[in-house]
Amino acid sequence: MGLMITAEHLTKRYGSRTVVDDISFTAHPGRVTGFLGPNGAGKSTTMRLVCALSTATAGECLVLGRPFQELVNPGRHVGVLLDASAQHAGRTGHETLALSARVMGLPRRHVQQVLDRVGLSRQEADARTRTYSLGMRQRLGLAHALLGDPDVLILDEPANGLDPAGIRWMRGLVRDFADAGGTVLLSSHLLLEVEAVADDLVIIGAGRILAQGPAAELLATGGTRVHSLDDGALTLALIEAGHDARRDPEGLSTTASTEDVGRLALKAAVVLTDLQPAPRAGLEELFFTTTAQHGREEIPA
Amino acid sequence: MSSLSVPAAAAGASATRQARLGPDTARAIPFGRLCRVELRKQLDTRAGAWLLGIIALVNVGLIALLLFTAEPAGLTWSELTSAATLGQMFLLPLIGIMAATSEWSQRTALTTFALEPRRIRVNLAKVVAAASLGLAVMVVALAAGAVSNIVGVVWRDGDGSWTMDWPVLTGMILALLLLVAQGVAFGLAFLSTPVAIVAYLLLPTVWSVLTLFVDSLREPAEWLDINLTLLPLMAGEMTTSGWAQLAVSIAVWVGLPLAFGLWRTARRDIS
Repeated sequence: MGLMITAEHLTKRYGSRTVVDDISFTAHPGRVTGFLGPNGAGKSTTMRLVCALSTATAGECLVLGRPFQELVNPGRHVGVLLDASAQHAGRTGHETLALSARVMGLPRRHVQQVLDRVGLSRQEADARTRTYSLGMRQRLGLAHALLGDPDVLILDEPANGLDPAGIRWMRGLVRDFADAGGTVLLSSHLLLEVEAVADDLVIIGAGRILAQGPAAELLATGGTRVHSLDDGALTLALIEAGHDARRDPEGLSTTASTEDVGRLALKAAVVLTDLQPAPRAGLEELFFTTTAQHGREEIPA
Repeated sequence: MSSLSVPAAAAGASATRQARLGPDTARAIPFGRLCRVELRKQLDTRAGAWLLGIIALVNVGLIALLLFTAEPAGLTWSELTSAATLGQMFLLPLIGIMAATSEWSQRTALTTFALEPRRIRVNLAKVVAAASLGLAVMVVALAAGAVSNIVGVVWRDGDGSWTMDWPVLTGMILALLLLVAQGVAFGLAFLSTPVAIVAYLLLPTVWSVLTLFVDSLREPAEWLDINLTLLPLMAGEMTTSGWAQLAVSIAVWVGLPLAFGLWRTARRDIS
């Protein structure tokens, strides 16, 4: 209990510009919550509000049941990666972690453990971060987030700059973390990235929440494809029950769920020969339809 | 859903973590630890290491100059130690400035304040750390003065007196600590390395120059010109009015920017 992140009516205004507009959501333990939106939608600002690095104009956010700034030794509870490029260029990767380990009161050997975990070699860790590629910075940032062995991970665009193998590794890491009971809030403007890892989705555009809920539910918007020995009778039954239903040469499509179709078929005594969720265009379709008028021109997919 | 088993699993994970990493999760980060970390941060970057190296180089150069050119009678521990303090008087405040500004220019504030959200505490740790560094450097200067005093005796047949002018030395140390604090304060107030350095070097000097030309400023300058008020302190000639004048000028040049800087960084949105 209480291992979650809850945002309630979070609002951030800069002058007359509203960057985050009345955002409420909950990230639950054991689940990966994907924060999805085009660039400039307010994802990063929201995450900074969650971590008390930025002050909300209105609303509040609790992490582990408390405002972030009231957490005791927060690094031991919440692993944060907000910008992998925000490292001191003149400091080595190892030193960056060693400093934070000391702040958190962690044993020294723990630094080497997280470096091994994210796959940074000793030689790479001993180089100053100005020489790092974005992918290496991202790994260092993830190592930093994991350092305090937290219950909660807050990751802003963690896949940025990682190669395909790195992205796959990062997904596995996040998945394992959630499966072990941890809470993960991660953002991305990459649809496929979020679709691959998130259990819950919060979709935002222009600072507002456009849709949220379990990914499986949000994605199952396509209805059902069904084929039976008497499609005519089934169509009628579906329409009588208040669903849309349309016949075509291969069977019929309906807005009803597979379960509803099954029940109606049973009642109408129609034998089903094929029943499946309608093939969907995926999150991409949802993303484009919900953010089309809010997003910027280019929306990378 | 497994909402019942999840907290249990998390509690189990939490217990093993405590066993592995120590039971520190419920304890606030001690201020002393913050100070030690901030001190290390001032030295572990390339810029910090370079500045310290240059300070050492300047001091060695000044000692050498004294050893080569001074009258043998002037070669004492006190004199040589004074020579070895000039480098840090000018350059150590820059480390203080960078300690404050680099969090924002290098954007490490994003991680620093996610680990300790009480920003004023972190910034005060920076002041303490910079002051500790100043003290450490002064101890090294005393040692360097002692070594060169022996060299002076052996090589130049110097006076070699071990009498230390303690009022001067303590005045120098206090002055250094105040200048370093001024550096951190200017860094926090401006949050930009070049702007803070230029302001730190230029503003007090411009003020001093102004007082030379504008008669009506001469009287307030005795209270407000840090270059003037620090002189008797470093010369070991403090009087009651000297302390009062020093206090006023420090309030203006250290207290004010520090208060403004702490206020500014505490409420600033970090990005």
